[in-house]
Amino acid sequence: MTDHVADDSLAPYAEPPLQGETLAFSTTIEPGRFLGLSVKNGLLNLITLTLYRFWGKTEVRQRVWRGVRLNDEAFEYTGRGMELFIGFLLALVVVGLPFLIVIFGIQFTQHWAFMLALFPLYIGLFWLWGFGIFSAFRYMASRTTWRGVRFQLKGSAATYGWNYLFALFLSSLTAGWYWPQAERQLASRVWDELRFGDRRLRFRMDRSQSHGIYGAFALGWFGTLFGYFALIFAFVGVAMAVGEPLQPSVDGEAPVPTVLFTVILYAMILAISPIALLIWAPYQAALLRSIAAGVTLDNAIFKLNVKAIPLWWLTVTNLFFLLITLGFLMPWVQARTARFLIRRLESTGHARLDLARQAERGPGSGEGLADAFGFSSI
Amino acid sequence: MAARFYDGRSALSHEADVALEGTELRIRTADGDIVWHLEDLIPEIEADQVRVSSRRQRDARLVLPVAEWTPLIGDRLAGQAQVRRRREIRLVGALTAVAVAVVLFVFVGVPVLSGPVARATPVDMELRMGANFDAQVAAIFPTCRNDEAQRVLSALGDRIAAGADTPFDIRVRAVEAPMVNAFALPGGPVLITDDLITEAESPDELAAVISHEVAHVELRHVMQAVWRDLGIGMLLDLVVGGGTGAGQQAVILAGQASDLTYSRDAELEADARGQALLHAAGLSSRGMAPFFERMARAEGAGQLSETVEFMNSHPDSNRRGRAARAAARSGQAALSPDEWRVVKATCEAPSDGPVDRLRGRLRLGEDAALPDKRDQVRPDR
Repeated sequence: MTDHVADDSLAPYAEPPLQGETLAFSTTIEPGRFLGLSVKNGLLNLITLTLYRFWGKTEVRQRVWRGVRLNDEAFEYTGRGMELFIGFLLALVVVGLPFLIVIFGIQFTQHWAFMLALFPLYIGLFWLWGFGIFSAFRYMASRTTWRGVRFQLKGSAATYGWNYLFALFLSSLTAGWYWPQAERQLASRVWDELRFGDRRLRFRMDRSQSHGIYGAFALGWFGTLFGYFALIFAFVGVAMAVGEPLQPSVDGEAPVPTVLFTVILYAMILAISPIALLIWAPYQAALLRSIAAGVTLDNAIFKLNVKAIPLWWLTVTNLFFLLITLGFLMPWVQARTARFLIRRLESTGHARLDLARQAERGPGSGEGLADAFGFSSI
Repeated sequence: MAARFYDGRSALSHEADVALEGTELRIRTADGDIVWHLEDLIPEIEADQVRVSSRRQRDARLVLPVAEWTPLIGDRLAGQAQVRRRREIRLVGALTAVAVAVVLFVFVGVPVLSGPVARATPVDMELRMGANFDAQVAAIFPTCRNDEAQRVLSALGDRIAAGADTPFDIRVRAVEAPMVNAFALPGGPVLITDDLITEAESPDELAAVISHEVAHVELRHVMQAVWRDLGIGMLLDLVVGGGTGAGQQAVILAGQASDLTYSRDAELEADARGQALLHAAGLSSRGMAPFFERMARAEGAGQLSETVEFMNSHPDSNRRGRAARAAARSGQAALSPDEWRVVKATCEAPSDGPVDRLRGRLRLGEDAALPDKRDQVRPDR
């Protein structure tokens, strides 16, 4: 997939042939143009105690969306910061308040009823997480338009919440080995319910499963296990080797041990992160390929040519720049990530996009739960 | 001028011809003409294309090349950018005002309100909360096993607390913790760390620290600190949501900086009240100033480490030392030499608390190292 090539003339759009049109993605995103927005959002977040984040996020989305084109027609994000803000306030009332009541009840009264409420509340939080993710996707879909026609996500957020809870439960029982399949299942719940206007996309599990992910998962799983033990041995080894000099001498001039250990620990985490990401990069890439392969629209199928090493490099550099700029460069990171993916997205076959009719307006506010849980795809 | 028009009802593309007629944009399609007023237009430029919508026809879109749009429209829509900028400035102004109000409330309102709220907190409620806290603290800092020493400490606590006007049963005990500190929990428990007992050079110093903590309980400073931290924490959490962004974390961290410390006034008040309690019990209050001053010197000499928490959570020690010295009075020794020897050995029996287990597992701070650590805060040596 290549970048969009600027063209002074806009050819009249040709009527699609009967079988529909092929889908060609392109992008006009230039991450460098997001640097100014990054600084602006970062500074405004600081002076508003992060309350500006809803509007900042909205502006980033508007610019990313309009930088993505399908058949030379740009996508559009029509959401507003105020909608996200209202969603956040709603989540505070719906989730924050009951949680607070139970926690206060336990702290101050230690009444059995509050204790009893805590367990389902914690379980409920995982359900709510899934509910929040689905609701956020629903909101984003309703605020995404192409050729003036909205996307819409049908289906039930509550059911997705249960699916999510079940996936977490089964994954924990299987030491994580159910999670790859769970990710496909959860993706299918979203993509299968997505519609462009009234034209439904479909998620075909057989196509998705034809792209294996378990080999890459095994690499990540065993690599992590191996790394974990290696780390423990290394840590104990270091502690034993330098243990004595780390203790302060009687005159108190030697370094304080825990400070040094903290520094060593952080340095190790920093050094290990790229390796941990590298171990899991094949899985992340395989998962993206598998999910993209499952999505279909009419006869059009999709292919995401994501390879492990480029994806790893993108992630590592994203994290590095986020770290050294204390999160300021988030919009820039989102822009280059979107460009990375769109450049690798291809489609074959045909879809009757022209037949799509307008969808309903969708929810009035959005993503409050997702914000409360710190979840955001972009 | 060639363009593409989408009517907002379907995704079907319509060839269109666009012309400007006075203050109107006329869009000619095979299905008829659409007229949009200039004042309603919302253009959005990206690379080589402009996408235009109208406030009166929200779903319809007109797409045409920038190269044709710019000469057509000229600077007729320049005013729109100014309106957008003004709107954005108003929004940022309002959000900043909210943020300033939150900050003011956190740093002025909550501390001011926490005192009256603490005094109005029902005793039962504080007791139950204290029991809950105590159970959590006990899991991290185990009680020292020397029963005889604990009895001596407890008796000293009872003697000091006898003059306190408090509905709470003050219960002093020694705990194992890798820091020089003493703290009172809601509802009466007063915890003295083993490192503080090692650090105290006389029973009077230990009595002074206990009297100070008893005063915090009596004056309900503990509950005040709890309410203040809850208020600040909740308010900041409320503002930033559960977000994990760097900005959100920074705000939460700033709020945590004030975690469970008392205000300067509360410390001075507890010092004065603590001395009064010692005097009422017939004890000397001459141990308070030397202890604070030694802590302050250790702090000033840059020897402050994580082992000297007392000064971290009890600030402004020089000034407090001076005030304590001015009000100090002689009295009986808090403990007999025998009792003092017993107390000094309070935590010598090994504990299997989690901190020790971790230390042991990592071979950190083995027994031989502990006295060295304590030496750091002993400037006289």
